[in-house]
Amino acid sequence: MNYLLLICTDGVSTPEIAAAMQEHTPKWVEEMDGRGVRLLGNGLLGPDTARTVRVRGGETLITDGPFVDSKEFIGGLDIIQAESLDEAIEVAAKHPVSWYFTIEVRPFRREVEVPENWTYEQLRFLMLPCLDGIPEADEVEAQLLRDLQAWAEMVDARGVRVVGAPLAPASTATTVRVRDGQTVLSDGPFVETKEYVAGIDILSCETMDEAIELATAHPLSRFHMVEVRPFWGG
Amino acid sequence: MTATGVEAAVQAAFKEEWGSVVATLIRRTGNWDLAEECAQEAFTQALTSWARDGVPSRPGAWLTTVAGNRALDRLRRSARGAELLEQVARDPLRSPSAEPDEDEDEPEVIEDDRLRLMFTCCHPALALEARVALTLRTLAGLTTAEIARAFLVAEPTMAKRLVRAKAKIAAAAIPYRVPPPELLPERTTGVLAVLYLLFNEGYSASSGDELIRAGLCDEAIRLTRLLGRLLPEEPEADALLALMLLQHSRRDARVDAGGDLITLEHQDRGLWHGDEIAEAEALLTDGDPLITIGTYRAQAEIALCHTREPTDWPRIAALYAALEQALPSPVVRLNRAVAVAMAGDLDAGIALVGELVQRDELSGYHLLYATRADLLRRRGDVIDARVEYERALALAPSETERRFLRGRIAEL
Repeated sequence: MNYLLLICTDGVSTPEIAAAMQEHTPKWVEEMDGRGVRLLGNGLLGPDTARTVRVRGGETLITDGPFVDSKEFIGGLDIIQAESLDEAIEVAAKHPVSWYFTIEVRPFRREVEVPENWTYEQLRFLMLPCLDGIPEADEVEAQLLRDLQAWAEMVDARGVRVVGAPLAPASTATTVRVRDGQTVLSDGPFVETKEYVAGIDILSCETMDEAIELATAHPLSRFHMVEVRPFWGG
Repeated sequence: MTATGVEAAVQAAFKEEWGSVVATLIRRTGNWDLAEECAQEAFTQALTSWARDGVPSRPGAWLTTVAGNRALDRLRRSARGAELLEQVARDPLRSPSAEPDEDEDEPEVIEDDRLRLMFTCCHPALALEARVALTLRTLAGLTTAEIARAFLVAEPTMAKRLVRAKAKIAAAAIPYRVPPPELLPERTTGVLAVLYLLFNEGYSASSGDELIRAGLCDEAIRLTRLLGRLLPEEPEADALLALMLLQHSRRDARVDAGGDLITLEHQDRGLWHGDEIAEAEALLTDGDPLITIGTYRAQAEIALCHTREPTDWPRIAALYAALEQALPSPVVRLNRAVAVAMAGDLDAGIALVGELVQRDELSGYHLLYATRADLLRRRGDVIDARVEYERALALAPSETERRFLRGRIAEL
C-alpha cells in the first residue's frame, strides 16, 4: 500500500521545536529510506507562496494562499510504502512533526509510480487538485475522467510531471499526533472542509507561471480548484 | 422437530455464532459486506434445513460452511470475484453445492477470527461512534435499525456511519489481525474502552429504546467474557467483566416504581443477582489489587466492597488512592474524599474536597458541593453545610436531585 503523509504545522515554532526538527527529521528520512518505506518527499515553502487557481466561465481566477485557510497548513509531504495502516501510523509517529503538530495519513487510490532516480532538484511545484466529494451526473463524471486522462498525457508529453496520483477520499484519512509518548489518532483529515485534496501532482517545470498554466488546464480547476505550492529549494 | 423448536435453535445459534461466522468469512474473503450477507443467508437456510434434517451437532461449523459456500458461489458469479477467489482457494472451502455433512471434517474455525474482528472493529483510526456501531453490527449481529434506535440516530445516518467505516477499513488497509505484541496492550485498552462504553450505554438507559438499550449490557458482558477467554494473559479483561457483572447484578434494585434511581445504601439487597456477584468475585482472586493495579480492577474491587456488609471503607479509600494514581481525575479524588471520611477521618475527607473546590476543578458539578455539604453536616458545621447545599441546589440538573437536596436542607 502507498500512503501520503501530509506534514502539517501551524508555523509557530520555539527553539526547542526547531532543535528537535533539525536533529530528528534527517534521522527519520535516513531510517525510512533505509527501510525502503519512504519513496519520495520534501518540504514546501510557506502558505504565503501558495496560489489557488479556479476557472469559471472560461476565466482564470488566481488567489493568494492555500485552498483552505486554517491555522494548520501543509508544510511538506512524503510518499511511503507500508504494509498496512498500522505501519503507516508507526512511520508517521516517528516523524518529529507528529510530536508537536499533526501528520495526516491518506491512502492512495492505487500504487504510485515513483521514478527510481528522482532528485530534489526535480521537485519544483506541488499541485493539489481539490474535490468536494459530491458526485456529478454520470456523463459529466465520464467527461471529467477523459479530461483528466488528456491532461495527464499532456503534462507527461512535456516531461514535467515527476509523480501524479489520485488519493482515496478524505473520509479514509487518519491524523496522527504523539502527545506525552502516546500515539493519538483521529478519524478524518487534518482540517474538515467541504473541499479536500483529491490527489497530488509533483511538477518539475521551471517557473510558477508554467505551473499555474498547467493548473489552469487541469480539469478540476473548472469544477473546484487547484492549489500550487513551490517546494523548498525548487 | 417443531417449528418453534427450530426457531429457538437458530436464535440461540445466532447469539452464539453470528460473530464467528462473520469473522471467519471476513478473513477468507476480505469483504465485510459479503461476509455479513452470506452469514445472514446461512441463518435463513438453517431455518428450513434444520427443520428437515434436525439441528446439527455443531451449529457453528454448519453455519460457517454454508455461509462460506454462499460466498464462493457469489464470487464465482461476479467478475470482480476472480482475484478474491484466488485468495479463497488458498484457504479451501468445500464443495459449494453440497450441504455440510455431519460426518465430514469440520471446516477450519479459527477462534482467533473473532479476536481479529474485535481488534479491527475497535481500531483507533476509526471514529469512536463507528467502532461502537461496527462492533454491534458485525460481532453481535444487531441490525442497523436496532443500533440506530439504541443511539437515537436516524437509520440512514447509522447506515452511512457503518458504510463509511467499512470503506475506510478497505481503502486505508486497516489490518485484519490481532495486533503484534508491541501494540497489543494499548489496542486491548481500546477494545475494553469500547466494550465498557457499550455497557454504560445500556446501563444508563435513560433515553432511546429501553429494551434494546438494556440488551446492550448483555452484549457487552458477552463480548467481554469472550475477550477474557481469548486473551487469558490480560487481567484487565476479566476485571472489566467483573465490574460489569457487579453493576449489572443490581439492575432490579436500582430504580423505584416511579423510575427514580435508588442509591446503593437504600437498595433492597434481596433483589441483587447473587450468582453474578459470585462470578465477579471469582474473577478477582489473582494478585493484590493494591500492588499491581489496573483501572478496571480497582473499580471492580470497589464495587465488590459495596456488596459486602459492613462496608470496608478503609479498603475502599485505599483502592481509590490506587485508582487515582493510575487514572488521575477530580471525580476519582472526590470519591476518595468520601471514602476517607467514611473510614473515620472526616477532617481529611473535608480537606480533600476543599482542595478540589480551591483548584476550581469540577466547578459547576453539583455533586462536589453536595458532597462537601454532607461531610460538613456530619461534622456538625450546620451553617456551612447549608451554604454548600444551596450551591448544589442551584446547579442540580434534575428535579429528582433538587427534591433530594431540599429534603437535606430541611433536615438541618
